[in-house]
Amino acid sequence: MSNPGISILEGKYMVTMDQYPQQSKEFTQVHQFYENLQEGRLTTTRCRDCGMEPFPPRILCPNCHQSNLEWVDWPTTGTVVEFTEEAMGIPLGFGEPPLIHALVELPGKKTLFTRIVNCREGELACGDQLKLAVFAVDPVPQEIGREVVQIKRVCYAFEPVR
Amino acid sequence: MERKVCIIAGGMSRWGAREGSQRDFFQEAAKACYEDIPGLNPKDIDGLLVASAMTERTSYQTHLAPLVAENVGVQPKNLCARVELLCGSGSSAIILAFAMIKAGQADVVMVVGGEKLNTPQKWETFYSQLASVDHDWDGPQGIGLPPPAFAMMAKLHMKKYGTRKEHLAAVTVKNRRNASRNPKAQFQTPVSLQEALEGRMVVPPLTLYDCCPITDGAAAVILAGKEIAKDLTDKPLVYIRGTAQASLSNMSANIPNLTTWDSLRIAAKQAYGKAGIGPQDVDVAMTHDCFTISEIIEMEDLGFCEKGEGGRFVFEGQNDLGGQVPTNTDGGLLGCGHPFGGTGIRQGLEVMKQLRGDAVQQVPDASIGLTHNLSGLIAAHTLVVYGKEAA
Repeated sequence: MSNPGISILEGKYMVTMDQYPQQSKEFTQVHQFYENLQEGRLTTTRCRDCGMEPFPPRILCPNCHQSNLEWVDWPTTGTVVEFTEEAMGIPLGFGEPPLIHALVELPGKKTLFTRIVNCREGELACGDQLKLAVFAVDPVPQEIGREVVQIKRVCYAFEPVR
Repeated sequence: MERKVCIIAGGMSRWGAREGSQRDFFQEAAKACYEDIPGLNPKDIDGLLVASAMTERTSYQTHLAPLVAENVGVQPKNLCARVELLCGSGSSAIILAFAMIKAGQADVVMVVGGEKLNTPQKWETFYSQLASVDHDWDGPQGIGLPPPAFAMMAKLHMKKYGTRKEHLAAVTVKNRRNASRNPKAQFQTPVSLQEALEGRMVVPPLTLYDCCPITDGAAAVILAGKEIAKDLTDKPLVYIRGTAQASLSNMSANIPNLTTWDSLRIAAKQAYGKAGIGPQDVDVAMTHDCFTISEIIEMEDLGFCEKGEGGRFVFEGQNDLGGQVPTNTDGGLLGCGHPFGGTGIRQGLEVMKQLRGDAVQQVPDASIGLTHNLSGLIAAHTLVVYGKEAA
């Protein structure tokens, strides 16, 4: 949405009001997560010392506090534990209501509280199978030297397995 | 030597979708607070803590405490800073003021908190909430505003414990009725059980009546060491007996149980221990009813009733006036509204009045009071226990 009446903001990117995270190496040390996500992989970091697999990925193991981490793949399908369909007060940028949320249990890993896309109102039920859905979001115009480069970005949600 | 610390005065602005700016509301709250303690010259306040969560987001203002000091006419010389813990900002500031006075690092500390949350266009108000959760990981999933998370908790609690829609609605009916007797509250009209049950759906099973509103406003209290307090006021002294603040996990994937709030149970154990009391000793409580389901789970995890019995406990009036532990006697968040940084201070103000014996809806002979805030999804819990006697 444009910002009527505030000409300085018209059409301009503002990082302080960006709903998506920065994904370039200059702005996050877990940029590998997003590079993997672009290939359809859901990944996180595993601690080579204690074996812990925290999510989201880290640069410091929250269990043994070492930084000996490696990237591991997580399942890209899971099961609906519970869900709800939000009708009002949806933040800008999340489309028309309803905004569907679900608790998705990834087998052997964690239960994620995620957005459900490509799903009709009333379609979802507890116990349904879901799969990872990766989609492009607005790129970031980032200064690299004297150039402004469009940094490609992605986000994930889950969608019904049909 | 460690000092006993008292809460000796308080006041608040009118809360609601207000005309005015953030700094206007801080001035209104300060004025109401000064009027509660004519024996204090505000220039003798030596510490100021300002609680505000969204000042950078909705007022584009950092370095807030010196601005507020200038605007409310105080000249702190021992302490002047802002405290932020989203919905727990106000109580966090009270805890820190308490500790500074107890340690002898300040004598008379004003704690003021509030927000201007409404923006000229509504979308920006909602959009700003994406900053309130883990922005990089929960925000992109659309759970920046907490209603979907609490809707999920309500669904799980209903499934696991048989909690019903009527139980949720009973919380709103009680708190809206209490608010209708509080001239500073956002909502001045009560609602019936039927109205609450038939409210417009926001995110199932939560209707508009299950959610606290978006609120502008501020509140202020003054804390002082016991000896100084005796010189400043003739009103009965109210002491801070114990405090606690716990956080286990922030991002949604790391919250193992959405219907039992482990960090609240830890904070409660700590606060009760330091205050030398148990849950059965609490005469009046202000708990964080950001949603109806929140107050129900809080009754359980604060130890006022058995796990899973929260719905029935509130429905039977056990946390209403005349019940076991009257809760949110001034209207709570559901009735007063919720300008994040102001809420814990409003709660402290109401508990102070209850223990002094001058509350609008007075709980007879109240001697122990408690305030509770949650913040984030349910990441952090902040407790303050007040008493007519020192611990």
